[in-house]
Amino acid sequence: MSTARADRIGLLVLPGLAYLGLIYALPLFLLLLKSFRDATGALSVAEFVQIFGDPLQRSIIARTLRVAFLVTLLALVIAWPTAIVMRSARGGWLSLFLVAIILPMSLGVVVKAFAWSILFRSNGFINQSLMTMNLIDAPIRLLFTETALVIGAANVFLPFMVLPIYAVLQQQDPNLPDAAATLGAGPYQRFFKVIVPLAMPGVVAGCAFVFSMAVSMYVIPSLIIGERQQTVAMQIARSFLFLRNEQLGSSLSTILLLIAVSVVLGSSWLAARLGARQ
Amino acid sequence: MPKLTRRTLLKTTAGAAAALATPAIVRAQSNQLVIGCAASHTNWMEAIVVPHMREAIGAEVIFEGTRSAVNLEKMVANRGNQYLSVIQMDDPVMLQAVDEGLLDPLTPEMVPSLSELREGAIHLDGMWANYAQPWAGVAYNTDMLDGVDSWEALWSPEAAGRVIIPSLQNTEGMWTLFIAAMLATGQPFDAAQYEIDAAFDKLGELRDNLLSVYTQMPQAFNLLEQGEITMLPGNFSSFALPRRDAGSPIDLAAPEEGIFVMPSGVCLVDGAPNRELSAAYINELLSADLQSEIADFTSSLATNTLSTGGADLPEGIGVYSPDWQFVAENRREWTERFDQLMAL
Repeated sequence: MSTARADRIGLLVLPGLAYLGLIYALPLFLLLLKSFRDATGALSVAEFVQIFGDPLQRSIIARTLRVAFLVTLLALVIAWPTAIVMRSARGGWLSLFLVAIILPMSLGVVVKAFAWSILFRSNGFINQSLMTMNLIDAPIRLLFTETALVIGAANVFLPFMVLPIYAVLQQQDPNLPDAAATLGAGPYQRFFKVIVPLAMPGVVAGCAFVFSMAVSMYVIPSLIIGERQQTVAMQIARSFLFLRNEQLGSSLSTILLLIAVSVVLGSSWLAARLGARQ
Repeated sequence: MPKLTRRTLLKTTAGAAAALATPAIVRAQSNQLVIGCAASHTNWMEAIVVPHMREAIGAEVIFEGTRSAVNLEKMVANRGNQYLSVIQMDDPVMLQAVDEGLLDPLTPEMVPSLSELREGAIHLDGMWANYAQPWAGVAYNTDMLDGVDSWEALWSPEAAGRVIIPSLQNTEGMWTLFIAAMLATGQPFDAAQYEIDAAFDKLGELRDNLLSVYTQMPQAFNLLEQGEITMLPGNFSSFALPRRDAGSPIDLAAPEEGIFVMPSGVCLVDGAPNRELSAAYINELLSADLQSEIADFTSSLATNTLSTGGADLPEGIGVYSPDWQFVAENRREWTERFDQLMAL
């Protein structure tokens, strides 16, 4: 391909870049700018100082990070065996797995949240099952708890963990574990020395996806844990929509953005490092 | 592959611009009215107002149900290019909208029904007017409770983990705050509503009985219907009583200390699209016939003096309406304090 033709083809990226610049980068830049200004418009970091000096705001940031970490962990624990099984599946079974993973994404979070409230309530399925199995004497509280939030959010974000891991596993040579076996590797070694290291780029990508979405989720915590256990995203909405405190809202948005960007950059670095090692 | 010339680029750009602008042009010329209201208005808006407006003034009503504070934010964000024509929201938020210069005053020439409203239903020289006002008490599950005689029941040991209250971000959240002030001080409502420190002390004692605090009422109401909670204070007749009449195991109690009137207001947005049609919408909403119909459906108190029917309130129970100016001046601080107090 000639250089001139390659340059013209390269121009095709311009509409996409313009769109992203206008719709994504510019508002983010304005938001960042606002977070470093006080109510009079002067440059200031007072809002950040106030946020980190407020025990409630610190506990909200800590809860947001804790929940995002636990959601990512739970999604990973469920997604890993699912992806392994999907890699072995063929034909109709594989289609069934893919439909089962993707179809629930078309169901709104609000509908799911109402369904979960039926499961989580004191006379709901979970409590009834635990009592029937004599594991508990009286119903335990699940509604409006972090446990319910982690379970619900992991359910919503599961496809974003399963699909990257499945994509990486599918690209692996299926003969590699057998080859390792011929060299004397047992099942444990085949799994931890061959399959897991080769799947790490998919795991890292899945974790980055899920953590980024979990750390910034708004609708799911609003519906599942309510106002007494706020997350950073809920605080942002409250700041802009109710308190009409743009400084607080944009400063919290900047903190959330920094967390998400750190995770994405960190995971990109890790994925590149793991890829290079292989 | 066709060659990309300057002419084809210009034609394509003009075509794209026309395609993008068409919905706005069509909307501006249509008989469509976009109304901002509360999510809890959905039932009666769909059943009564939308068909009535189509027939009476030829308007196609699209309504966006959300919190009053969100409607205010929409008006601020779209200043100078509003897409909402009329907003139905509560008095304290109306005061904020007036401060922001977002409202177009109503006049008897534009809205003849104003002359039929009872005293006190028109605010700040016509900035907004009240229409059918629901009453607020304590919604409770009838399978689990026989009734709620006193607001003190919220604080009782039997109610532990069985109560959800509204956030102060919601107008109905104010009722729990003011009742807490009355119970803490023993003063009548008119004086107690200013005893906010005492109110917060009393609310602090309610913490352990709370399952949650809501900003989205339907979800909390759903838990009341399921029996997960027994009481939902501050709930109002326009939402609870139609659900009761539909067979849901809930009812709305009017406790002995008193009940409240929801400050339902309607305003014309400054720079609203279809201004004349918007004024006609407000005129119909305030009219005796439509208010009677809404008041019957929602067990509310009509503000049109010629209206009939509506709420059948228990005798001897005080019906209160607070000093909304005082609320508007302090609500932000109270909300911050409330969130700190209730946070886990």
